[in-house]
Amino acid sequence: MAVLKINGEDKIFENAVPSTLKALLELLKVDEATVVAEVNGQIIPRNSFYNTILKDGHKIELIRFVGGG
Amino acid sequence: MAKLNKEQFEAMLIERHGKSVHEKLKSAIIGIAGLGGLGSNVAFSLARIGIGKLVIADFDSVEPSNLNRQQYFIEQLGTKKTAALTENLLKINPYLKIEGHSLKLTAGNIPEIFADCSIITECFDKADQKQMLVETVLNKMNDVITVAVSGLGGYGRSNEIQTRKISDRLILVGDGKSGLESGFSLMAPRVAIAAGHQANAIVELILES
Repeated sequence: MAVLKINGEDKIFENAVPSTLKALLELLKVDEATVVAEVNGQIIPRNSFYNTILKDGHKIELIRFVGGG
Repeated sequence: MAKLNKEQFEAMLIERHGKSVHEKLKSAIIGIAGLGGLGSNVAFSLARIGIGKLVIADFDSVEPSNLNRQQYFIEQLGTKKTAALTENLLKINPYLKIEGHSLKLTAGNIPEIFADCSIITECFDKADQKQMLVETVLNKMNDVITVAVSGLGGYGRSNEIQTRKISDRLILVGDGKSGLESGFSLMAPRVAIAAGHQANAIVELILES
């Protein structure tokens, strides 16, 4: 069992956490073009989602934007 | 045109706000990224209370579809938004300093265009542009705070629009869900509520920093 803390809540994975931030967003069905992401307090640029490695216990903040202004 | 000279105008603001508040507002330089329903309304509020300088940016011109929520007039159709908004803001506060940039904001030019600003407010329409601005400010502009919006479509549900402090450098306004993608349309009242939250958060940041 492995855990990611996403926006303050524990999300539990049976085997391992998704390998990268990009994989996590795909799993959550979130369009990466509309997300500002922070991993362990660090802002991750969108073009680095694919090579940002996630590990058990990481803290992730996902700030999602919807259109309209 | 001006029936209040600069000293009289400032005296009016000082009478309303008090001298120390006025001095803080007057020394603030605020960036507005996008001059649609959010940006034009935020700008109107900030101009009225005597913010010192606004740096405003948008590549668009005023279109008929803007008039249901944006602070422009029929006679301004076809005019660049930077020029039209400057004209309107100076009618409210002729002593406001305005720096207009009629161009498309990108991750490359945002740090330069808003270099003098302590706060940048995200007023775009499209979700990916909102993402781009917030990511750019947080990553490339140390010490600058951004006030962004997500979710303001439709009508009613006034109290679902909230102001949340995500971190020391990011304030997020909106209900987080009522987007164009979900079929919501944009209408003046709810857009103005969100813009009011943004402008109010900016005032709080200026006065309590």
